[in-house]
Amino acid sequence: MKLNSHTLVMSAMFGGRRGLRPPVGNPTSIACHGLMERAGVFFPEAHLNSDAMAELALAGHEVVGFDTVMPEYSVVQEAAALGARVDWGDWDKMPDVREFPNADFSDIVIPSDFLEKPSCRVLLDALSILRRHVGGRVAIIGKVMGPWTMSYHMVGTQNFLLAVGMGESDKVTKMLRQLMPITVAFINAQFAAGADIVVLADHATRNLVGPYHYEQYLLPIHQEIMAQVGGPIILHVCGNCSDRLELFAQSGVDAYHFEWQVDSKEAVRRIGDKVSLCGNVNNPQALLQGTPEEVYKQARYAIESGVHLIGPECAIPLATPIENLKAIVEAARQGY
Amino acid sequence: MGDHLEIIKSAVISGKHAEIKALVQSAIDAGLDPNRIINEALIPAMDVVGKDFGSGKIFVPEMLVSAVTMKAGVDIVKPLLAGGQSRSYGTVIMATVKGDLHDIGKNLVTMMLEGAGFKVVDLGVDLDVQKLIEQVKAIRPDILGLSALLTTTMPEMQKVIGELKAQGLRDKFKVIVGGAPVDRTFAEKIGADGYGANAAEAVQLARRLTETKG
Repeated sequence: MKLNSHTLVMSAMFGGRRGLRPPVGNPTSIACHGLMERAGVFFPEAHLNSDAMAELALAGHEVVGFDTVMPEYSVVQEAAALGARVDWGDWDKMPDVREFPNADFSDIVIPSDFLEKPSCRVLLDALSILRRHVGGRVAIIGKVMGPWTMSYHMVGTQNFLLAVGMGESDKVTKMLRQLMPITVAFINAQFAAGADIVVLADHATRNLVGPYHYEQYLLPIHQEIMAQVGGPIILHVCGNCSDRLELFAQSGVDAYHFEWQVDSKEAVRRIGDKVSLCGNVNNPQALLQGTPEEVYKQARYAIESGVHLIGPECAIPLATPIENLKAIVEAARQGY
Repeated sequence: MGDHLEIIKSAVISGKHAEIKALVQSAIDAGLDPNRIINEALIPAMDVVGKDFGSGKIFVPEMLVSAVTMKAGVDIVKPLLAGGQSRSYGTVIMATVKGDLHDIGKNLVTMMLEGAGFKVVDLGVDLDVQKLIEQVKAIRPDILGLSALLTTTMPEMQKVIGELKAQGLRDKFKVIVGGAPVDRTFAEKIGADGYGANAAEAVQLARRLTETKG
């Protein structure tokens, strides 16, 4: 096997042959102030301009040494294309949805040119730029929101979860099914644009909902999504999801990106033979506030546990020092 | 009498939001002391809900429905209390920090603090440090509660505390913090007075802090 970043990542995605070291990847954003300065590209431009988006993603590989490039730094590209009012933030602030257009659970209207809306087109173009620059050498990762996360953005998280709590299952299921085609279309468009892997972020996290909610509402939808998409998928659900790992493994995804709260040894033991595991260096304590030595130790623990793709647990805080990101790469360079 | 309290408590725990008003009204009609309805049914119910949430038996959807149910019960009882108000345990300002629009955790804490007898001023989300300071000066709370859901926004809590110190306001009230990425270590590191892992813990913390304040 030719040992470059791309092959290391792709082999790890399917639990395949190992090289001399584990790959380092970021299914979610590693954009931080230091990286923006090194790339000469800042938020919010990096959400809105495909060249800037690709430039910042490349810095993750060229400056920090990650084996992947992932050009989506927000979670609101789809919501913006669906007409939600989005605040794109600034260099020190992540974008977010300001108003929920379907707070009353009114029907979702998917524009016929959804993929051509600026917030979708910019990501597709950035993926194509990355393909032209590093295709075949570095693994290119795209990202979509699943129907659960999009429901938070379109209906409002509290409204949506209140309906779940009140047992309004018809209303909840209808919303998820209306949004599902968007997830499928955006995944397939990202593969066509140049992504090697797409991350499906769907925040059915333990901080909010139970494993029984996931099993009832979302597992069947994730299985349908997986039947309709054409490439490797990493599921990202943050928070402590120890209580639903097996359910995630049943969804049909190829890999699961998980947080530090889930012990990596336990995750590998329980589902490591069914899906690949990505993660799970702690963001708030280690990457943001810790020393490179602390980050290194956590990354080594993940590697020694058998985690397939080593990286941060979730989108990193913007003030994360680059030295701490580099400590993950350093840990991987020590080999298995 | 005890039956009424037990029925109301159980209705809040199981989130019978459509039935709670009638149940509370029926207890009032039967001559039950409104204070007992709050202190022996509605608040203890949310303590149970908080514990069930803490242990992973229930999650935010069920907790939200219980909180809405409790609030509907409190809304019926409050006007009947002497002077239209129960005894206030203190004033709490609640806010989600700058850059963060997430408000479920804050809303749950707000509802539960109100149910537990605190006066709560909810300043909303994405709160600029300077605006927060202005409100703190005007309201003079006993407690300031800060919430953040994102690892990207939790450093804002430290900025707020730093600014309070700079303006000589830090010792005038207690600061408590919470939110998914926040933990006790972080709370101690940034110099907060307390941390609650969930809404029920936040209420216990607020009670403890206002008691020690005397």
